[in-house]
Amino acid sequence: MSKPDPMKTYATHKCRLLRVYGLTEHEKLFLFRFDDSEIAQSWRFMPGQFVELSLLGHGEVPISICSSARRMGFFELCIRKAGRVTSEIHKLKPGDLVRIRGPYGNGFPMDRFYDRDLLLVAAGLGMAPLRSVFLYALDNRWLFGNITIINSSKLGKELLFAKELKAMRDIATAENIEIIQTATRDPDWGGLTGRAPMHLDKVNVDPTKCTAALCGPPRMYKSMFEQMIALGYDPRYIFVNLERRMKCGVGKCGHCNIGTATSWKYVCKDGPVFDYYDIISIPGLI
Amino acid sequence: MRYVKLPKEKVYEFLEQLKSMGTLYGPKKISEKFYDFREIGDVKEVEFEYNRTITPPRKFFFPERETVFTFDTVNVEIHETLPTGDPIIIFGVHACDIVGLRIMDSRFIDDQPDPYYQTRRENGIIIGLSCLPDEYCFCSVRRTDFVDAGFDLFLHLLPDGYLVRVGTVTGHKLIENSPEYFEEISSEDKDNFAKFEAKRRSMFTVQGNWDDMRYRLELHLDHPMYMRESDKCLGCGNCTLTCPTCRCYEVKDLPTLDGAGGERVRFWDSCQFRSHGLVAGGHNFRPTKKDRFLNRYQCKNAYCETTTTAYCVGCGRCTYFCPADIQFKENLLEVYGFGGGA
Repeated sequence: MSKPDPMKTYATHKCRLLRVYGLTEHEKLFLFRFDDSEIAQSWRFMPGQFVELSLLGHGEVPISICSSARRMGFFELCIRKAGRVTSEIHKLKPGDLVRIRGPYGNGFPMDRFYDRDLLLVAAGLGMAPLRSVFLYALDNRWLFGNITIINSSKLGKELLFAKELKAMRDIATAENIEIIQTATRDPDWGGLTGRAPMHLDKVNVDPTKCTAALCGPPRMYKSMFEQMIALGYDPRYIFVNLERRMKCGVGKCGHCNIGTATSWKYVCKDGPVFDYYDIISIPGLI
Repeated sequence: MRYVKLPKEKVYEFLEQLKSMGTLYGPKKISEKFYDFREIGDVKEVEFEYNRTITPPRKFFFPERETVFTFDTVNVEIHETLPTGDPIIIFGVHACDIVGLRIMDSRFIDDQPDPYYQTRRENGIIIGLSCLPDEYCFCSVRRTDFVDAGFDLFLHLLPDGYLVRVGTVTGHKLIENSPEYFEEISSEDKDNFAKFEAKRRSMFTVQGNWDDMRYRLELHLDHPMYMRESDKCLGCGNCTLTCPTCRCYEVKDLPTLDGAGGERVRFWDSCQFRSHGLVAGGHNFRPTKKDRFLNRYQCKNAYCETTTTAYCVGCGRCTYFCPADIQFKENLLEVYGFGGGA
């Protein structure tokens, strides 16, 4: 085995912002492409991985990739205006340049998804990394069985990619895809209400031959796990995508450390995707 | 392994030889109470019988602060500032600190190696030195009191010099290039080496093996020790600053006044600081002092696959330099022994 090249560890690539699309009051979708043609052709990622986005002079932030792994040279990031750096990112305009390093993290083990039904359960910003899995499944439709996606948020207007999912109705019918969008606490919302676990009875997947990917707040995982296992989902095929303060992205800086003495993890390197058994063996993971 | 003897009268000449090869660092007495690794000007300043240095040797490979690159915000270009790779020789490193460096290696030279650390490490020569424990040392129970790797040469004190273990090809070259300083070991030297080791082992205030410490800790995450002891903690970060295996770092962009350029720097961080677990939006993953205190106890007792030891090497610095006199070793023993706390 050849020695890994240390110069690749933190290597950054110049990227051009092509389009900014407002999703909600706080989240925007950014489409980037690589400036360098060689990088554009060779750069690959797996759903669930993230990049470190640098705005030189302001800093760097870890962001999940939310686009399809099939589209080479381009990628999309859904970014919530939450702090100092992301506020600056929200000011960017098409044509502006940023630097990107990655992709980092393990990503979803897609080979554990093939030839099985697929259940995606997102709450809030959790839709961002799961969109990458969803688009991957659509682009490789023949590798998956039936597909259900549950997209939830507190208010209807906060549902990420709600319009995009709504616009997929025709393709969804043709491709055996069930799209469920629910607002948990919104009196003005005309659609489905209630938390994601309440809609497990509307899925089109067979629990015994389904792989599930979940992304949302910790309290969602606990209730989802209980109900899913009761319904016959195999815990070996339940995955979650976690978020911590992944500053370096390569298991060094320690800010995403989690766990206890027998299970000390770097979310950026050991994760951000963990399976059900990781979750129950690593106190504090959720 | 090759063994040679460095007679007492040749020690300073050998240090001069090392000094001629690059920048030589070694333990120096810097105040009435304390020692630290410093650049050696006069080889006579080297302290051979020191208890522990304030800062751990990792600082030579992972400095307190460094510029990782400079940037140009107009063209969005960066210029990496890699270390020069000048040779550095660190003399007098104790066994626990050598394991500490190997633990650092396990994270910084993995499948995604850190180029800054790796460049310096590849240009570093490590000369180990035997020591006798004081009441703060617990390297024995951590299995780090005697090392078999991680040094180029290791010097074991004899009544009339040092028994030298040769650990690497670099170590062999040091011997081959200066044969006049070394001689073959005698059977008397072997006996004296064994006597020193027996004496050393008998001096530890804590005996046994703590390999199962991490399980004991995990089974008692709610032990009252954490609340009681973290209440004394000042949150100063001395324990992590002086730790030979702490490696958390923070990164910041420092733009120039006109905003057209700047540098990205990284510097040591501490999990004992409130800012360590703080994320955008104000959420903190370790909001209380107790959370941060517990975090350190878990991290330090986690298992390092490379060395098969805990991340804590039992050097005693975190206790020795704690202004609140928090006793790490005693606190661990309390949980290990299922003590009910105060």
